Amino acid sequence: MIQRAFRRIAWALFVVWATTTVTFFINNVLPSDPARMVAGPQARAKDVERIRKQLGLDKPVLEQYGRFMRRLVHVGPAHFDEKDPEHGTCANVWRVHFDLGKSYQQRRAVTTILGERLPRTLLLAIAAILVQTLLGVATGLLAAWKRNTAIDHVTVGVSLVGISAPTFIIGLLLQFVLAHRLRLLPLDGFGDTFGEHVVSLVLPSLTLGIYGAAYYTRVVRDELITAVKMDHVRTARAKGLPMWRVWIRHALRNALVPLVTLIGLDLGALVSGAIVTETLFRWPGLGALTVSALLDRDGPVIMGTVIVSSAAIVLANLLVDFSYAILDPRVRR
Amino acid sequence: MRSIRRKISAALGVLGATLCACNEPAQAPMAAAGNASPVRGGELHLASFADIKSLDPAVASDTLTGETIELLFAGLVDFDDAGHVAPDLAERYERSDDGLVYRFFLRDGIKFHDGSLVTAQDCKRSIERALSPDTPSSFSAFYDRIAGFKEFTERESPHLSGVVVEGERVLAIHLREPDATFLSAFAMQNLRPVCPSAGDKYEDTWQPCGAGPYKLDSWDRGRGLRVVRFDGWWQPGKPRLDAITYSYSMNLVTQRFKFESGDLDLDRELSLPDTFRYQDDPRWKPLGAYDGIPSIGGESMNVEIPPFDNIEVRRAVAAAIDRDQFRMIKTANLVPLYRVLVPILGGDDPNFPAQRYDYQAALDHMKRAGFPYDPATGKGGWPKTIVYPIYKQGLYELSAQVVQQQLAKIGLHIELKTVSFPTYLMMTKKRGTVAIAPSGWQQDFPDPSDFFEPIFSTSSIELSPEDCNNSSFYSNPKLDEILVRARKELDAQKRKKMYDEADAIVCDEAPWAMEYQYRYFGVHQPYVKDLRWNAVWPNYVRDVWLDKSPQKIARARRERGALGSILEILR
Repeated sequence: MIQRAFRRIAWALFVVWATTTVTFFINNVLPSDPARMVAGPQARAKDVERIRKQLGLDKPVLEQYGRFMRRLVHVGPAHFDEKDPEHGTCANVWRVHFDLGKSYQQRRAVTTILGERLPRTLLLAIAAILVQTLLGVATGLLAAWKRNTAIDHVTVGVSLVGISAPTFIIGLLLQFVLAHRLRLLPLDGFGDTFGEHVVSLVLPSLTLGIYGAAYYTRVVRDELITAVKMDHVRTARAKGLPMWRVWIRHALRNALVPLVTLIGLDLGALVSGAIVTETLFRWPGLGALTVSALLDRDGPVIMGTVIVSSAAIVLANLLVDFSYAILDPRVRR
Repeated sequence: MRSIRRKISAALGVLGATLCACNEPAQAPMAAAGNASPVRGGELHLASFADIKSLDPAVASDTLTGETIELLFAGLVDFDDAGHVAPDLAERYERSDDGLVYRFFLRDGIKFHDGSLVTAQDCKRSIERALSPDTPSSFSAFYDRIAGFKEFTERESPHLSGVVVEGERVLAIHLREPDATFLSAFAMQNLRPVCPSAGDKYEDTWQPCGAGPYKLDSWDRGRGLRVVRFDGWWQPGKPRLDAITYSYSMNLVTQRFKFESGDLDLDRELSLPDTFRYQDDPRWKPLGAYDGIPSIGGESMNVEIPPFDNIEVRRAVAAAIDRDQFRMIKTANLVPLYRVLVPILGGDDPNFPAQRYDYQAALDHMKRAGFPYDPATGKGGWPKTIVYPIYKQGLYELSAQVVQQQLAKIGLHIELKTVSFPTYLMMTKKRGTVAIAPSGWQQDFPDPSDFFEPIFSTSSIELSPEDCNNSSFYSNPKLDEILVRARKELDAQKRKKMYDEADAIVCDEAPWAMEYQYRYFGVHQPYVKDLRWNAVWPNYVRDVWLDKSPQKIARARRERGALGSILEILR
């Protein structure tokens, strides 16, 4: 079991490295000039050339890659400040430094930028997962419980609409009704205090959550319908256990196993940034940052967001694997 | 103008308009005008879909940053509403008769935000800091006529010898040759004095501090910033606002929602349906206006690639473009353009031999080029399909279709190829790559030279053929000679004639087919006073004041709460 866990972790690290390397080279072979994007479309050639040299973009790609990988994880002093020419752009855990360089556009350490953005995205991702799980499980349970009734048909129908509607439609409607017309919630933003963060979180997490919940509803309903026909559930019913207990303790637990996979994958994807939702609600997370970086060909930020995204997805997969072992004893064998 | 964010915003804008408000008239303005004379106080709220990247005048290059820097950093000279250079931190300036020396006399007692006095030495330090070869600035080429520029930027001299401190409040700038554009370029944001804390070397970590009417209060990257009134500002009673708040990365729908609820005081980034809505509403119409920042848009034709190496084909394109049809794309924002110079830069002669739509003439030009086209049979014309790059952005994607249809009528068939904005830039600026492409140019500083030298001169090609602003790779020794003379000419009338002559050459030889000038429509709340649409700075809010009583109405509206709103919906 431990050996297997180590193998999975090693494989995960390899995936992150491979993703990072492929992204680095793709970013460098794309027909575009990051220096021109920094200088602006109308800048004179001499100024663009000077900026290219200052950014080190005049060096061969392999040399740039070598430097990037050397700097990515290295050993340095435990204490330093942002003006330190060698380590000013690093984030560190004692003497282990992580350095993604400086954003071409923002001229700040990428680790600092990610440090600002990642917690906000994590917050949104977790809130969205909570909404979609609670809503999805509740409605899925209801639909399965009342299957082939009007409640089941309505729930399934609504979930179909939820799956079909893009997040920006859901988001815009929620924004228009709840924020613009009813003025119950802020239209957008992140807020400055804890209370404002919580209130600002409602609309974007609802937007993402409703979309995800619609899918979860279908999954939970179908899994429950299958689960209640299983022998152990039938036995539980025969033993005279109350119905709610049979459904919750014996059927739902089985039905949740596939949902864990979905939650893990969704969490990984959401940490990569919910681009449209973050744009609509001006949520200052990784999604908006990724879009800007891609458009501006801001190489260091692109690399930073790719590393965070791939690490999040790989980590989520790892957690799903490990949680399987907890939920399903057969996996441990 | 580019960016997926803008695209998403635009899509959301259209969708929002469709879903929420297509049939709904704009809400009534908060209140009518109140006080007649300016009062101090209040906080102005502005927003943009874009974000700013730096607040250091030495490196900031985008328009959005420019309008904020205009508040934080004052220059020795600035621009008035018409785009003419006017004194600011300098109480006056003078130019020597030979045009080689500009002398600026600073006002007495002007201060930086940190309380220290602004001296001529600070101005010199700031100029050298901005033009240092270690500073990642994107505009130093504007100032290459300053004496000693070459030696300084090539590290042969530690100081810029042409910038001379002649006293605590007198700064002289010596040029190596007369340069009529210098004052305009100098009035831009780039060389403005920065606090002593900035030192003489650019550093990314410096906290912005200048001598403008407002000082930085807070800046949350990616979200917004707040500036507050600088009480040490030299103009008595100004600035009038307590603070200005900018929110960034805000999509167009949210901007409109916030504007109508009084949470935003000015909206310049309107979707097209909203633009029409405000323009058609008599309550809002007096509160809206277009900005006048000069820009040009058109087709850039590469004179080194067939068929556009043939002047008659280029003339045919210039005559085949029906500029009025572009107004169907964005009626509110596009003004037909028939020559290089827009009226505000001297292009105001109604008898000028401009490019005009003349379909028969276009067919005649194609015939003379050796590619006669018969519109009745659709036979003839240029036999190959021409690749036409556009990038993901609303305007070019739409205008390209108009161009495609119009050129097909003279036997030129173009194939639209959508690429990213960075790829588009790389393709169009590289020699021998693109035959024809939609192109635009916005003024760097208000001077006619800025619309000729970078995009039509031979020197622009010679500087860097692989990354060239002259995307048509057009070269004409006569035009070059006129541009050199015009740049040195200090007499405004003679200079205007020279640029008319240059414009006539470009219109005739058609390296570009001119099409439109882009303008923005903005609308403001009635309690926002003295908002002027400046010819250089968009959202020019330096002198704005708020009529406070109507703002109470705005607040009351905000505080009406859910019940009131439900009742409003039910009603």
